[in-house]
Amino acid sequence: MRQHHFAIALIAAAALTACGGDGSSGGNQTQKTKFSAQVVFGDSLSDVGSYAVGTVKALGGGKFGINGDLTTVNPALTGKNWTELMATQFSLPAPCAAQTGLEGDSTKGFAVPIVFHAGCTNYAQGGSRVTNPVGPSHKLTGSPLGALTVPVATQIQNHLSVSSGKFSGTELVLVMAGANDVFMQLGGLSAGATAAGSASFGTTLVGSLAAGATNPQTAAQAIGLALKTESARPGRTDASVIAAAVGAAAIQPGNSAVGAPAVYGPMVASAQAAGAKAGAAYFAATSPSLVAAMATAATELTALVKTRIIANGANYVVVNNMPDIGTTPSSAGYDAATLALVNAMVKTFNDTLGTGLASEPKVAYVDAFWASHDQATNPAPYGLTNVTTPACDLSAAKNPLGSSLVCNGGNLIAGDVSRYAFADSVHPTPFVHLLLARYVSKYMLQKGWL
Amino acid sequence: MNQRMKSVVTLLAAACAMGLAANASAQSAGQFSAKIGAGKITPEGDSGDLSAPAFPGSKVAVGDATAPVLIVAYGLTDNISAELGLNLPYKLKLSGAGTQAGTGQLGTAEALLPSAFIQYRFFQPEAMLRPFVGLGVTYAYFQKETGSGKLTALLNTGGPATTFSIGAKAAATLQAGVAVNINPRWFVDLTVTKSKLEVQTRYATGQTQSVRLDPLAVILAIGYKF
Repeated sequence: MRQHHFAIALIAAAALTACGGDGSSGGNQTQKTKFSAQVVFGDSLSDVGSYAVGTVKALGGGKFGINGDLTTVNPALTGKNWTELMATQFSLPAPCAAQTGLEGDSTKGFAVPIVFHAGCTNYAQGGSRVTNPVGPSHKLTGSPLGALTVPVATQIQNHLSVSSGKFSGTELVLVMAGANDVFMQLGGLSAGATAAGSASFGTTLVGSLAAGATNPQTAAQAIGLALKTESARPGRTDASVIAAAVGAAAIQPGNSAVGAPAVYGPMVASAQAAGAKAGAAYFAATSPSLVAAMATAATELTALVKTRIIANGANYVVVNNMPDIGTTPSSAGYDAATLALVNAMVKTFNDTLGTGLASEPKVAYVDAFWASHDQATNPAPYGLTNVTTPACDLSAAKNPLGSSLVCNGGNLIAGDVSRYAFADSVHPTPFVHLLLARYVSKYMLQKGWL
Repeated sequence: MNQRMKSVVTLLAAACAMGLAANASAQSAGQFSAKIGAGKITPEGDSGDLSAPAFPGSKVAVGDATAPVLIVAYGLTDNISAELGLNLPYKLKLSGAGTQAGTGQLGTAEALLPSAFIQYRFFQPEAMLRPFVGLGVTYAYFQKETGSGKLTALLNTGGPATTFSIGAKAAATLQAGVAVNINPRWFVDLTVTKSKLEVQTRYATGQTQSVRLDPLAVILAIGYKF
């Protein structure tokens, strides 16, 4: 009898334990490493408001993405980029821009004094390159915005100059740069190829049109002048340039026959072919130098990380490589040769950076390229609903800058864009920034830092 | 030669022991027994991919766990018994796997795996060694699912602490074991069970993940017949 009681007591004890409660909890949220601060160097992908001044601010912009907390519309529309999410995760204050201002057109509200903000350690600026001070929308590009585009090399110097030349060793340093070197190099190539093509087109056309004149040399001068004048006129078109050249040719002594379409038409066609050929030749001849320039930029960034950041005391450095530019909307219109060049530039940069930092124990090297490429080509597992269309309405009427810098809840395209990949042609949405933050966290966990 | 001699000696010793124990009244019809011991479960399945939004191949691995168990049995006949097993919670450790391998322990959960079996026990109740097989059902119940800063960083960086829950599930379970009667009242036994168990994990982010646990349990217990 007593033995039966013993058994029942045991069962009761086990049953009681089973009823201990079903309390799910978040558990201990403390990370293994307690970071004292977060210091960010980079470009628009990490910028938290360097240009949130003047008209940019007035337009409800300041960050490159979808500005503003729109979580009441959709929880994914946080208005935050990955650096802000990382800071929150590590219980650090919200990151603030170390420097703000614009050097653009004062009549448009894009001239705002440059101010350094003490205590703010996010140095990333839209348009910044690795070492070259002139990035996209910099005043020297003729942009009315006048983005500061302080390069990463100078960003690091600026930080060292306010921190006694040292990193404390307990801060988390985030580095992500390189894409603007691609964009600027491509811009230069495009301009050069166009110029070479136009020159060849003009020379060929003028020569052909002048050939039938009594005095071809004099005729060529007159036709060339007409072509040059029209080419320089604002509002000119290819057709207007041709018409000006043909018109000038037809009034040359002994050359009236050239005014007939049947005569000048083939001349124009062959001149255009010559122009295209010259443009392509310039492209082919110049492309290798762009790839080489990206290797140089990556080597410079590697050196900055090693000799300026780690050598000065930083112990936790996250370096994101360059995302896949070839799958962004900005690359959608590229011909095969340009796309191949872009891909080669990105790959060369990443290969060089990855190799350079491979054996650096204080660096978590994040393959952001892989993540962005996979998201663009395999969107479903990421919950992405659109990886080709910008979420922002970039028409001039809705977005004076045509950039996500001034994109917010008021100028999105119609429909639910919360899980679109891109805000504009290159910048990701807050949702993709969350994916990036999670991805970076994974690397930090694997590194044993969290 | 040596090996063969050893086997013969072992057999003789076993037969001798059986003879000595011939009078033990071991789990016969109408008899209750209770045993306590230690169970070790080893999840042998793998997890599915975490649902969107997730990096492809995001999986979770569940580690071994050990806990005290209490098992009561009732002899329906001399050879057929009904058995009910209870355990103190198995504390499971969940770690990142697949493309998340190396991220470390992301969470813990307690598993209660009450089980009921119908068993067939070989030989006579008095035999010293009584192998048995059983077929039954395990009701897997999970509690105190606990996340971590790591889990939050991985699933919702900068967001609220990520909680999760694992849904309860019944699973078919096979059992095999052997009881060794020490004397007419006391016995020790070793039981191995294998369940077919796939559970659903639901994270506070709205993501889900099916996890095939398919636990193999090894239970070593000491028991008493009433």
